[in-house]
Amino acid sequence: MKHLSNYPKTQPPQWPARLLRLFADPVTAEEIEGDLLELHARWLKTGSRTRADRRYICNILKLIRPFAKHRQPADFHKPQTLSTAMIRNHFRIAFRNLFKSKGYSFINVSGLAVGMCCATLIFLMVLHETSYDLHQSRIGQIYRVETKNIQENHTYPGTYTGMANALRTDMHQAERVVPILKVSGTVAAADKLFKEAVVFADANLFETFDYQWISGRPVNAFSQPNTVILTRKYAEKYFGGTDVVGKTIRLDNKQDLTVAGVLEDYPSTTSFPFDILVSFPTIKNVNPDYDLNRWNGWNDNFQVFVLLQKGMSPEQLTGPFNGIIRKYMGNDQVANKRFKVSHLSTIHYSGNLGGRSANVSMLKTLSLIGLLVLLIACFNFINLSTAQAFKRAKEVGIRKAIGSNRRLLVYQFLTEAGLITLLAALFSVALSLLALPVMANALAIPLTTADLFTWQNLLFSGVLLILTTLLAGVYPAMRLSGMAPIWALKTNLIKPANQWFSMRQGLVVVQFTVSLVLISCAILINRQLDFFRKADLGFNKSAIITVGLPDNKPEKLQMLRQELLRSPQIRDASFSFNSASAESNWMQGIEYRTGPEVIQVKTQMKMADSHYLNTYGIKLLAGEPLSDSDTTDFKVLVNEVLLGRIGIKRPAQAIGERLYFGDGNEFATIKGVVKNFNVNSLHQKIDPTIIQVVPNNFYQAGLKLQDEHPSAESVQAALGHIEKTWTAAFPDQLFEYSFLDETLAQAYKAETRTASLIETATFLAVLIACMGLFGQATFSAEQRTKEIGVRKVMGASVRSIVSLLSKDFLKLVMIAFLVASPIAWYAMRLWLQNFEFHIQMAWWIFVASGVLMALIALLTVSFQSVRAARLDPVKSLRVE
Amino acid sequence: MKRTFLGEFEELVLLTVAVLEEDAYGVSVTQALEDKTGRTVGFSTVHSTLQRLEEKGYVSSRMGGATAERGGRRKRFFTVTAFGRKALREVKQVREDLWSALSPAAMQLMGS
Repeated sequence: MKHLSNYPKTQPPQWPARLLRLFADPVTAEEIEGDLLELHARWLKTGSRTRADRRYICNILKLIRPFAKHRQPADFHKPQTLSTAMIRNHFRIAFRNLFKSKGYSFINVSGLAVGMCCATLIFLMVLHETSYDLHQSRIGQIYRVETKNIQENHTYPGTYTGMANALRTDMHQAERVVPILKVSGTVAAADKLFKEAVVFADANLFETFDYQWISGRPVNAFSQPNTVILTRKYAEKYFGGTDVVGKTIRLDNKQDLTVAGVLEDYPSTTSFPFDILVSFPTIKNVNPDYDLNRWNGWNDNFQVFVLLQKGMSPEQLTGPFNGIIRKYMGNDQVANKRFKVSHLSTIHYSGNLGGRSANVSMLKTLSLIGLLVLLIACFNFINLSTAQAFKRAKEVGIRKAIGSNRRLLVYQFLTEAGLITLLAALFSVALSLLALPVMANALAIPLTTADLFTWQNLLFSGVLLILTTLLAGVYPAMRLSGMAPIWALKTNLIKPANQWFSMRQGLVVVQFTVSLVLISCAILINRQLDFFRKADLGFNKSAIITVGLPDNKPEKLQMLRQELLRSPQIRDASFSFNSASAESNWMQGIEYRTGPEVIQVKTQMKMADSHYLNTYGIKLLAGEPLSDSDTTDFKVLVNEVLLGRIGIKRPAQAIGERLYFGDGNEFATIKGVVKNFNVNSLHQKIDPTIIQVVPNNFYQAGLKLQDEHPSAESVQAALGHIEKTWTAAFPDQLFEYSFLDETLAQAYKAETRTASLIETATFLAVLIACMGLFGQATFSAEQRTKEIGVRKVMGASVRSIVSLLSKDFLKLVMIAFLVASPIAWYAMRLWLQNFEFHIQMAWWIFVASGVLMALIALLTVSFQSVRAARLDPVKSLRVE
Repeated sequence: MKRTFLGEFEELVLLTVAVLEEDAYGVSVTQALEDKTGRTVGFSTVHSTLQRLEEKGYVSSRMGGATAERGGRRKRFFTVTAFGRKALREVKQVREDLWSALSPAAMQLMGS
């Protein structure tokens, strides 16, 4: 002891030893150091310290032989960590283990396969949604002109029709101006009628965006009116071939259009999926009233794109845009309107003419869900591998005893993880092939199985494979290889350090938490969807068929109604601008003037006839219903919300009040007040609404059937009658009908998709988590075979043993429940804020999902626990 | 017969290892040599000689257990191999042959 405590004072300088370790032969470095320390101590006794130090340093310097460093000692072989033989051995052992425990391998492979399939599909989807329009060669210069209403703080993708001309004359920064108008029309080709989306554009379109011509390059021809350009798909659809230049199609039964060229089909990732391009000047021939220099009111289906000069930034356009407002709209509009340009790459994330847009937060949520499902599968692997540590302990012990180092063992276990992941990846490819068409269909994404084999996806799969292997494999490999050989060989009965167990429990809790959050969300979303279906809209949407009206002359409509009502199945028919609730609406500012005070209200206009209330089942609270003669005297119905806005409390008081259209002198008189009904989808508030008889604006007929829940036959009979009558009234027009309840359900398409996505994810997450749980239950039942045998011999009942085995897992569900409920509550609160009308979050939803999860877990575990508990103790005690 | 070659110093070190039996390691060999020969022997020289002897197969070595002494560093113990013993015997034989070949007069001169 004394020797030791004296030691530091008598120590030689440190640096020579360090030098020695660095440069001397590593095999003998240790003993040299020791020997010299010993000698140094001796030299100190016989001589001065300086002398001892000098001798010490001298000896070390003599013994440094940098070139001896790499000499291999002859007498023992240092194993190369990754020789081919070793790698072959790793694979052999990995295969053996795979086949030895088939159950666990199955759980691991299938879980990981589902997880990877999810990740791959979601990657494909995100890749698709984020690659829109990026292929355009002039993408850096293409922008869309958008209109911002400062009061509403809302930016609209469309703009005034006058904008195109204004840009051409007043904005030299725009190299090209591309106005695009999208309408729906009836196309007659080869004696057949088609309802199509038709796009009006000029030749600038082809100079700004990339198009590939199959026949013709009719840039000049396209500036003429009455020319049309088709895509390959549509040329084949109409004429059965692409050699169609010079042939004609007829638009809206009014105008013949000559085919001037055929374009190659567009890629699926374009916001401009136009099949029928009609030359811009044709507009005047089809619709003579269409004002191409309009500056009051715009429509989102007219959009203007500009090709800016190179190096021009969007900020530089603010000045010219303000100039345009002053010149065309007047100085007073500067405070109210603003124009700005949005880059082409951003238009897929807002309203665009392609009709497909992506929701960024939805994509993020999806990616998160995909990651979570994959993570749950990885956790299964981690849990099952560490749970089997006991089984592998002897192997690890012997490997270490005969000279394997830790690194080698880590490689071995990683090989096993890699093999399982690779198998899973192969299965996931097969799964993706099956699931992709289903997903593409359900989510309305134009993805095909060919997209699975693009280089991006192959790269992603490769990275995914490596990441999954590491994610799933590193922790078990570290754990298993870290076992002390003595412990591993001596006994397997003692549990290793307690933290193993809690790590596994932690992972199970995470799995359950994710599953529980998803279950709660699924329940809640479904309840919200159910609410959409069953909510009281203030009108009756069932048993209503809607058809379009190509012509709305009063005499014609009068006759049509008479004919329609002849059918015993039809109770009433109403002609109107749109249905009681519709996606596209007519908004107008009105004024209510009480003395000096003027109240402005932005109001939704419903143009409808006297049958409207009856057909849609809207209740009249006060006053009289409309009559068809109200066209002349401007008598209107209003809803309760409008009364609230203009400050009238009782409906009866409103009768006879005047509402002015805008700030002019034209006014309408309130004739009656109707009960509130949802004029918009349930996402939005009920707008103040006016119902007025304006036959010019009747574009749709709503037909109420006699029976609230009509049988298929009566619907067929009614439809037959409607089609016959309609076709007789409007020959050469395409008859199309829809059911109002189905049309309204369209508004909730996004939510329905979210619901089906969450449901699928929930199902997969729960499935994978349960497979893992099953594996663990199997394992713990195996482990405790003897214990259970002894307990049974001592008189334990089956029930007590089952509860003994299940208790642990239920505890985990409880913890997960506590963690998951607040998360689910928060996520769902965010989601519900999207809707003006929504259900209340109820505590029982969380409890129900907790109970559901507990039941599922219990059921999974009980397969094993009941079996273990019923096992004959004689047999279980004889195990080993 | 292949002649074994042992340098003078090598022979001394090898013999010392044989003398020290179980306790032959770098320091003890150096110490013993210094005591017996009375000359200053460099540790580094002894160390390299031991290494060389091991390479030639005259001695074998093993690492001892770690102790609290010398900063916990282990010692490398050397033992003479059968080949080493044979070499020592041969060297001794050569010497003895030569000695016995000396004429009595020459012996006298050396004072023995």
